[in-house]
Amino acid sequence: MSSNHDVISAFLDDQPFELDELADTLNDPAGRALLIDLIALRRIVQPTEAAPAMGAAGRPWRRPWQYAAAAAVLLVALGGGYLVGERRAVTTSSEAPPPTRVVEAVPFTPTGGLR
Amino acid sequence: MADPEALFAANQKRLFGYFCRAVGQPDVARDLTQEVFLRVTRTSIPAAPDGEVTAWLFRIARNLALDHHRRRVRQPEPSALVDEPTRSASQEINLAVNEALASLPALDRDVFLMREVAGLGYDAIAGACELTPDAVRSRIHRTRLQLRDRLAAPIATSRTMATGRAAHRYERIDR
Repeated sequence: MSSNHDVISAFLDDQPFELDELADTLNDPAGRALLIDLIALRRIVQPTEAAPAMGAAGRPWRRPWQYAAAAAVLLVALGGGYLVGERRAVTTSSEAPPPTRVVEAVPFTPTGGLR
Repeated sequence: MADPEALFAANQKRLFGYFCRAVGQPDVARDLTQEVFLRVTRTSIPAAPDGEVTAWLFRIARNLALDHHRRRVRQPEPSALVDEPTRSASQEINLAVNEALASLPALDRDVFLMREVAGLGYDAIAGACELTPDAVRSRIHRTRLQLRDRLAAPIATSRTMATGRAAHRYERIDR
């Protein structure tokens, strides 16, 4: 392909070009064939898949602070749940609490009679 | 355009299109498009004219595509080709286009895709690929000629299909 066919690329890409040069190129059957082929090439390289749908807010991702806030809420909920669960486990246990005062039982010994 | 959401809205479609052809897998293209914007939200968008911001965005995209190709060379994925008898003409064209693009040098492929699929101007492509606009112009033209040769059959099929569609349209108008 001769170099003067560069003008076809310039034409396709909205770049500045000499009209006379384009006219000369399009007078040549090879130049016309190239223009048609490059238009067809542009068509077939377009992806067939549609762009991914975006969310209602128009953005498919969340900002980092939103992830951090969600993680903080989750941590607070887990920590709170653990503490509440631990307290309940203490108060509702079926075992007797440890003794706070021990009274020793001693045999009864009468020290005096009836008066 | 310093707002990541506005930047996303303006560029999501063309980034996805670029990735679709650069990696050849729509699912991966979706993930990489998301990754570009995750990176954008983690950094500050340069205070520059829109064209330079677009070049910056596509430089990130190009690096992600190159990383993907490097990973694929290390860990090749099993090919998920459609059985030959069930392929339609458009699937055949799609496959041939992906193969032809994969056979190009990475820089030529990216320059070509940024122009033909993403619709970037020469200056933005030059910024994204660290080339001069003249180098971009000559690479695009050279790549077009290579792909024209490699894809001669799909181009001819596409022209026939387009002619068929046009003829069908005229038949409907005549009725």
